[in-house]
Amino acid sequence: MEALRYFLPQVWFVILALFLFLYVMLDGFDLGVGILSLTSSDEDRRSLLMTSLGNIWDANETWLVLMGGALFGAFPLAYGTILSALYIPIFMMIFGLIFRAVAFEFREHSNRKAFWNFAFGAGSFMAALGQGFALGSVIEGIAVDEAGHFIGSTWDWLDWRSLLVALTLIQGYVLIGSTYLILKTEGELQKTHYRTAKLAAVTTLIGAVLITIATPVFYEAARTRLFSPPLVYVFALIPVLGLGLVWLLLQSLNREEEVTPFIWTILIFLLTFIGLGLIVFPYIIPTQITIYQAAAAPSALVFMLTFIGVLIPIMLFYNIYNYVVFRGKVVGEAYGE
Amino acid sequence: MDFLSNTVALSRMQFALTAIFHMLWPVLTTGMSIYLVIVEGLWLKTRNPDYYRHARFWSKLYVLNFGIGVASGLPMEFQFGTNWAPFSEAVGDFFGSILGFEGAMAFMLEAGFLGIMLFGWGRVHPVIHYLATIMVAFGANLSTFWILVANSWLQTPSGGEMVNGKFIVSDYFQAIGNPFMLKSVSHMFFATLETSLFVIGGISAWYILNNRHQAFFSQSLKIVLAAAIAVTPLQIYIGHLSAEQVAQYQPTKLAAMEAKWDTSPAGQPADWSLLALPNEAEQKNTFEVTIPNGLGYVLNFQKNLKEPVLGLKEWAPGDRPRMVGLIYYSFRIMSGIGFFLAGLMLWSVLQWVLGNLSPEKIEKQQWLLRTWIFAAPLGYIAVESGWIVRCVGRQPWTMYGQIRTADAASHLPASNVLTSLSLFAIVYSILLVATLYFGSRIIRHGPNLELPIPGLDDQPAMETEPATFVPDQRPVEAQQ
Repeated sequence: MEALRYFLPQVWFVILALFLFLYVMLDGFDLGVGILSLTSSDEDRRSLLMTSLGNIWDANETWLVLMGGALFGAFPLAYGTILSALYIPIFMMIFGLIFRAVAFEFREHSNRKAFWNFAFGAGSFMAALGQGFALGSVIEGIAVDEAGHFIGSTWDWLDWRSLLVALTLIQGYVLIGSTYLILKTEGELQKTHYRTAKLAAVTTLIGAVLITIATPVFYEAARTRLFSPPLVYVFALIPVLGLGLVWLLLQSLNREEEVTPFIWTILIFLLTFIGLGLIVFPYIIPTQITIYQAAAAPSALVFMLTFIGVLIPIMLFYNIYNYVVFRGKVVGEAYGE
Repeated sequence: MDFLSNTVALSRMQFALTAIFHMLWPVLTTGMSIYLVIVEGLWLKTRNPDYYRHARFWSKLYVLNFGIGVASGLPMEFQFGTNWAPFSEAVGDFFGSILGFEGAMAFMLEAGFLGIMLFGWGRVHPVIHYLATIMVAFGANLSTFWILVANSWLQTPSGGEMVNGKFIVSDYFQAIGNPFMLKSVSHMFFATLETSLFVIGGISAWYILNNRHQAFFSQSLKIVLAAAIAVTPLQIYIGHLSAEQVAQYQPTKLAAMEAKWDTSPAGQPADWSLLALPNEAEQKNTFEVTIPNGLGYVLNFQKNLKEPVLGLKEWAPGDRPRMVGLIYYSFRIMSGIGFFLAGLMLWSVLQWVLGNLSPEKIEKQQWLLRTWIFAAPLGYIAVESGWIVRCVGRQPWTMYGQIRTADAASHLPASNVLTSLSLFAIVYSILLVATLYFGSRIIRHGPNLELPIPGLDDQPAMETEPATFVPDQRPVEAQQ
């Protein structure tokens, strides 16, 4: 039983990380495309951008809903504490996602598309910003008492470090959005996004480097963790691998390849994610409450694992099937017809 | 204006506001998904292109509502963490798991197949497409199931006990199968279906009345009517069972539903209140119209009460629901609509039997058609009223008898909640107005009866299609 007390929360930590990664990757390009749409020069281009997401944005967003539910069930304490501590960025994200989602439905039927275009782009931006602030604050740590209840103030989440994380995340979303559009479009539209991808790759890299330097400098907990073996080797390896992947990405963009930029970007996301996971683990509310303290009862974790665990491969299967059905370049067909 | 600085009151208002608005969209899509399964199945079975065009036309309204439903539903889940953190911590083991199941089993299924259902007509085989439509409907209704499991568990907690402020679950399946679960799930399942049927029926009636595509929309009206024959009386019956379970498990709610201040003992008749003006300060109804000896008939179908019916005075004011008038009238509005829709069904069936609903004669049924148009929004009103009874009537408890609402709320600055609440009020009002505006545009624009029909090259597969989704075969006659 003692082993289960450690094993089950670890399993759920990994599952949550998987859901979050899938969300950040999949809705990441949705949001990135949304942000890019703010710079679109004409209505036809924007239509294509939105059509490229029409059949999938909803399923992609569902990974967030799923992650929320699983976090609620597996780590109820963390769910309450983190969400109430991050009240403002969470609602920033929610309102952003609402604007983004309704823009898909209303723009189609509207004669005055400008308003819904703005809702789509600004909503995507707002959602990404809220997510970035939330992520930044969680990495920085949330002020809690011994029982794990939030004792900080309502604006704790706002400082230059969380702003740095938020801006970097937005760059990352623009990057993956650009590479997704390279995959799904052709012609002039595709050319535009080779340029935005290159730009975003550079700005993402700058942000990532700053965060990598700032984290051990400003957080003692992270410093002690990262500079002691065996993690120090992994931590030394990640930036090297990261730089390598960015170089490969820029190469593939220069060669105007269609598929590989997207793949390199996903690998960059994955690597970043592993790095963040290593900094955070085994805490679920950094830097005080571990996954073992915040976990639901072992019976609850087994109960959830039985029902959600078996569904993960099935969910992945039909989500992939959805992508297979709609593979290939987007053609200018109206959304909803 | 004390509530402006009261975080608990503001969080409650925010939950109520977002739930009331959010409900409007999935109620329609959940029920309509079943209708889409029916018409697409009829198309595959009969190969009548009209059914295909029905599937395409109604799915336009479907997707409009679906997208807004997804968007407006997001805060529902996250609010448990942001505004109800102590509650989340106390009940996460079970309640959180169930929300997780809803995401994994229901939302993902719905979202994963929606793209194929909407945009996949030319890309996948019709049978695969039909499978996608079924999966979307299945996912939507599974979502109803899990949400009602979670809410019923809050109404009648079971499967464990509170230990040091945290609910420790001993039997998860007992918690799922809590006393309220079965009837509440059924009541909500039929509520979404009935609401959608009368929306579809009302829109069809509007077209017929305006001399547009009469033959086409008399088909949908008849499908709806055929389903309503079963749905409307069943819903009244399940509604009665639901009231019985409230009487059994939540006497405070029953007392508020009936605005009943004094206890009536068992074995004796009691008056049933028809109209009242409850006065909470004086603990009485300042004005009341009653049906003498009616309560026994309403509850037990007999003159004398089988069980005593407790009055609100049995509890201290802090242990019973407030806003008695709201609960009292919401219950009456819901039940009234249930009976009205059943009556409309009977009237329409009578005309159908008399042959007055044939495409040539149906336009003469002006008053019947007008009543159908009038009935279109009634399902929504009934659903909202029912949920007001269910959740306002549960107060002062969030988890009945276990966790008080006042203890369940996060300790947030009131200004935060006031800001988010105000934004929700503005944004959701815009969403509602925009849905009505764009929805009516879709309706005014009408169906595209020129749509090419996708090919069916693989005939034998048709024979394996289940016909169980067709409640009544009669609409097929309409094609002759």
